[in-house]
Amino acid sequence: MTVRLGGRAFVLDPRAAYGTVRGEIESMSRALQAWLCLLLVLMALGAVGAIFTIAPGTEVFGTTPSFEWGILISAYVLFAITTSGLCLGASLGTVFGIELFRPLEKRHAILAVLTLTTAFGIIALDLHYPVRMVFGAVFNPSLASPMWWMGAFYAGYLVFLIVEVWSMFTGHDRIHQWACTAAAGMAIIAPTTLGAVFGVLFARSYWFGPFTPVTMLVTAQLAGSALLGIVFFLVVRFQRTGFERGRRLAIPAIRILLAVGLVASTVLLGRQLVDGLTTADEAFYDATMVLISGPYAVPFWIRVIAGLAVPLVLIALPVTRTTLGTGVAACLAFGGVVMDRLLFVNVGQVVPGSTVGGVVSDPYVPYTPSLVEISIVIGAFALVAFVYTLVERYADLREADAHLGFHLPEFIASVRARITAGRTVGDADGAHEGNVGIGS
Amino acid sequence: MSERTPLDQRAPGPMESPEPASPALGSEIGLEAGERPPGFLDGRVSRRTVLQAGVVAVPCLAGAGLVFTALDRFVNGDPAGAEPVAARYDASGHRWGFVVDTDSCVGCGMCVVACKAENGVPEDPEYSRTWVERHITTADGTVRVDSPEGGIDGFEPGDPPTMVDGSPVVDARFVPRLCMQCENSPCTAVCPVGATYRTPDGVILIDEERCIGCGYCVVACPYGARYIVPAAEDTPRGVPGVADKCTFCYHRITAGLPPACVEACPVGARRYGDLDDPTSPVSVVMAEQPTTVLKEELGTKPRVHYVGLEAEVVS
Repeated sequence: MTVRLGGRAFVLDPRAAYGTVRGEIESMSRALQAWLCLLLVLMALGAVGAIFTIAPGTEVFGTTPSFEWGILISAYVLFAITTSGLCLGASLGTVFGIELFRPLEKRHAILAVLTLTTAFGIIALDLHYPVRMVFGAVFNPSLASPMWWMGAFYAGYLVFLIVEVWSMFTGHDRIHQWACTAAAGMAIIAPTTLGAVFGVLFARSYWFGPFTPVTMLVTAQLAGSALLGIVFFLVVRFQRTGFERGRRLAIPAIRILLAVGLVASTVLLGRQLVDGLTTADEAFYDATMVLISGPYAVPFWIRVIAGLAVPLVLIALPVTRTTLGTGVAACLAFGGVVMDRLLFVNVGQVVPGSTVGGVVSDPYVPYTPSLVEISIVIGAFALVAFVYTLVERYADLREADAHLGFHLPEFIASVRARITAGRTVGDADGAHEGNVGIGS
Repeated sequence: MSERTPLDQRAPGPMESPEPASPALGSEIGLEAGERPPGFLDGRVSRRTVLQAGVVAVPCLAGAGLVFTALDRFVNGDPAGAEPVAARYDASGHRWGFVVDTDSCVGCGMCVVACKAENGVPEDPEYSRTWVERHITTADGTVRVDSPEGGIDGFEPGDPPTMVDGSPVVDARFVPRLCMQCENSPCTAVCPVGATYRTPDGVILIDEERCIGCGYCVVACPYGARYIVPAAEDTPRGVPGVADKCTFCYHRITAGLPPACVEACPVGARRYGDLDDPTSPVSVVMAEQPTTVLKEELGTKPRVHYVGLEAEVVS
């Protein structure tokens, strides 16, 4: 069968397509086949869960008016901050030209697009009227709402990321540089605004306050760095070709990024605990106690020990400063962030600030995620892993050579040259004509 | 395909003028003297083409109409989506307020029943526009709150308990709850698409045609007054998946009628009226008795005032 579109003939031959796909599958190793099969099954599970959410108002989630935001919101927050964190770390290479971080360039961009689109997909399933959101946000924006700004920034971020990926693979170096710079800016603004979505809610003491956006940004950096760490560990482990330079640079770079994220997260967590234990706000105190010794104590302490302390030790100890050590630290740190975002969303609602619609929750608001919610979250993780596996197999992820625009080392050199030139001019009474520019 | 007859050899049709076109006009458009300019339907455009164009154009125009209607609804709002308002009602001439007298309330639950019936609120007590709580304060300062089934079945009549958990009861009262219609309302501030808004007379409404069902307003409300309408069989009039809450029965008060709960209350514990009118029931009560608002420290400036609430309502 042949279809003509725009003067071109497209042959639709199921046999040929089947043969191609079959050939590809047969060329894969057994382990890869099993991995992709597993992911396909999990994605199918997520798709089935997603179908249940289509009709507006159907009660397929475990949420209630007393506990309105469930694990889909947690998953959205996780993917949204991860996409930002990927760009935050990698921007040191792409934007500032620091050589150490250059190998992160292509993989971070691919992962960022994947995690962001997945985040959008999850929030679309959580909303009862996602199409209205698009129309409403464009034609009836509410500029006082942090949620509107968050959507706008993440939408802009997605555009810049797509341009970044396109220019990266098509060799448009100058456009790539500007897209990277713009995306890095958005990667700072967007998660901060996401933090503000929670931080402005004075009805929720645990979320309310200026530190929530800051914490969200720092957690984003940690999440992105940890995901890069996992990916690069696997890339090195499976010895992907053309990655010698990356192995020498990427793993140390990720170690630095992880260390920064872990230390900053620990400091902010400490501040939050001290604040929560000494506050006069009863609801905030109760929420803090829920974490320390209440119903969420076990996951909280697992997160603190396995998600913060152990990775920090692995990064810090000279004996574990290896690829394996970094990989394990990254896995633990990412697991810690997953746990942290679950705790963040849940603890903000578990302490009743009020009776809701005649329901008195005492002492805590109950919430158990439904199978539909769990399947969607699992499917989302599987989707990212599946698509990325295919990208890793078929796309050219070798480090790009060209780098234009704003390079920090060159910028510093140019400033030094200007200072030197100025002195020379002063000494020689204006005889010198300098032509040193940024990125020249 | 048949060959077409040249224009100058054809006999004039019934709708065609036998007169030649004006020479001057013809020369301007490059015609010889006596030559007729071609008409739109004189053989150059077939009937089939016109029909085909029609087949394409009609759905296109219908689609465009739908798109423009949808855009107009989002840009200008849809009156059908908001609470119906009486035709000659002037919203700028009122400032609606509400007073709940907890000294009078007997916890019969008639207000909850009336509200659910009037506004098509789901039967499930989890989804309520108004509900009744019982607050029992003991000597140690503890306030125990319960609200079985949202109070819809009423509390058992009789004297309140004198002791709870070994501590003597110092105060017991029923506290009806509803949307506070805050002047500084967090729900309207956080809505990303402006679906929840305040009317000029101070009532906060929800445009159910615009609400996206994100639940942000539900989470933001400090009084637990909102819920997302479930798609259940017992939701006769609510649109599923959108936020809902008490509107002071806006469709009634704009028509000069009291809210359903006020009308149903057998002891007059619920009163509503214009806060700018010194003779209105709320103004009279507020002038005669001290009133408080819930969670005053949040600065939301509720328009629902309570009489008799000496102890801080913690719920």
